[in-house]
Amino acid sequence: MIEFNRVKKVYPNGTVALEDISFEVGDGEFVFIVGASGAGKSTMAKLLLREEKVTSGHLTVGQMHLDNMPDRVVPYYRRKIGMVFQDFRLFPNKTVYENVAFAMQCIGEPKKNIRRRVPSLLEVVGLEDKLKSFPDELSGGEQQRVALARAIANNPDMIIADEPTGNIDPQKSMEIMNLLVKINSVHKKTVLVVTHEKTLVDYFKKRVITISDGRVVGDHRGGMYG
Amino acid sequence: MRSYSITYFIAEALKGLWRNGVMSLASIAVLVSCLIVLGAFSSLVANINYNLDEIGAVNQIVAFIDPDTSDEDILALRDSIAAMDNVSAVRYISREEAYQSEKEKYSEYPELFAKLEGDNPYTASLVITFADIDRLVNLEQALGEEESIYKVSKRTDIAATIESFKQTVILIATWFMILLLVVSVFVIINTIKLAVFSRRQEISIMRYIGATSGFIMVPFIIEGVIIGLLSGGAAYGIIRAAYGYAARSVSEQLSFLSVMPFDSIGWYLLGAFLGIGLLCGVVGSLISMRRYLDA
Repeated sequence: MIEFNRVKKVYPNGTVALEDISFEVGDGEFVFIVGASGAGKSTMAKLLLREEKVTSGHLTVGQMHLDNMPDRVVPYYRRKIGMVFQDFRLFPNKTVYENVAFAMQCIGEPKKNIRRRVPSLLEVVGLEDKLKSFPDELSGGEQQRVALARAIANNPDMIIADEPTGNIDPQKSMEIMNLLVKINSVHKKTVLVVTHEKTLVDYFKKRVITISDGRVVGDHRGGMYG
Repeated sequence: MRSYSITYFIAEALKGLWRNGVMSLASIAVLVSCLIVLGAFSSLVANINYNLDEIGAVNQIVAFIDPDTSDEDILALRDSIAAMDNVSAVRYISREEAYQSEKEKYSEYPELFAKLEGDNPYTASLVITFADIDRLVNLEQALGEEESIYKVSKRTDIAATIESFKQTVILIATWFMILLLVVSVFVIINTIKLAVFSRRQEISIMRYIGATSGFIMVPFIIEGVIIGLLSGGAAYGIIRAAYGYAARSVSEQLSFLSVMPFDSIGWYLLGAFLGIGLLCGVVGSLISMRRYLDA
């Protein structure tokens, strides 16, 4: 599914964010990517989204080679990825329903399909009774659940969650993480969670890839943080 | 089957225009000014052409006869001119006829003619209608050789003056318009940039979701189109009203000029206004969105 092959990323200002990164993630895997802030975790997410290009080495997702992907293909590639951010990034002037529907509208999904699918997506994240609420009427945890529903709206192959619990209180964090595990196991999506929350990582006993100073320093299945 | 909703695009475009109301109005105002200048100058040029055509249609020159010439000689001269090449008709206007005709023309000022009673200052003349203006020079030369003709007046002088005036008008109008069009495009670019800026977070989310550049750009291009079309429509309305007013005052105060009916240029103006408005709007949007074409 995902293959990092001797990937190096140097930013234009000379900062070396990632150095000689090699690992593979198989279809349907659940992986935590952990490390201190500044270790290069977010750069990894940016490379996977093709927001940044690798400086050298190869990055392959599915059949797609991200290192020489033409710009016009990028939107179609991104439809295969559901992205979840620390700051939710919901449209504040759209309701919960509209936020999820918009993701489908963006890629030209017919209205009929949108009307049918959005309620079931919101059911998956347990927000079926908040259709008409606006993001600022919801708690952080609820907002992140809307973002999760949006991330899976277009039936992506993979979910990338960049610090998804960073702005949420601890007991709600567990709910979000449970949802991600559910999306992984029930909906068969590959899930990558970038985080530095030790308790959560230790609790779920999934594969953990540890990054430090731009290098992979640990890769353990059923592993623990650090 | 993918489907993109046109109502979504239009609604987003209208929201964008509304959020940056002042800049939207500024864009429309500048573009309207530009189109009004274009409309005013092109109506002026069209009317100059119209009047030139009228003068040209007359195709006449007037030969004034030396007062000492006898009636018989004049009639003989008339016949010889009628036989000349390029002459299609010759009409003799005697001194008496000229006097009467002028008296009628200035019937509001009978005192002018009262002073002249018994003394006719007008000369007899031959009004020569020619066929081909390009061979007018030859005819003039032939007339110049006739001793009893002391002066030939031709209207082509007026035509030439009007023609050069027209060229000046076109030159000024062209530069003025280029300048204004450039300003309009810049103002539109700024307006759309503001719209893009105020929605930059939405745009970044749309990018992550996998929206194509086209999907992201369409509302902004529609915004430009709306600015262009509104400006075109407004400019047309203003020009239409102003033309009617100008036509009335010209026919009252400069009655020797003819004014084209607005309907004969109206459709061209409307077409040109909407076309230029549209072009400015789209070009402005595309330029301001250029950097968003990257992934």
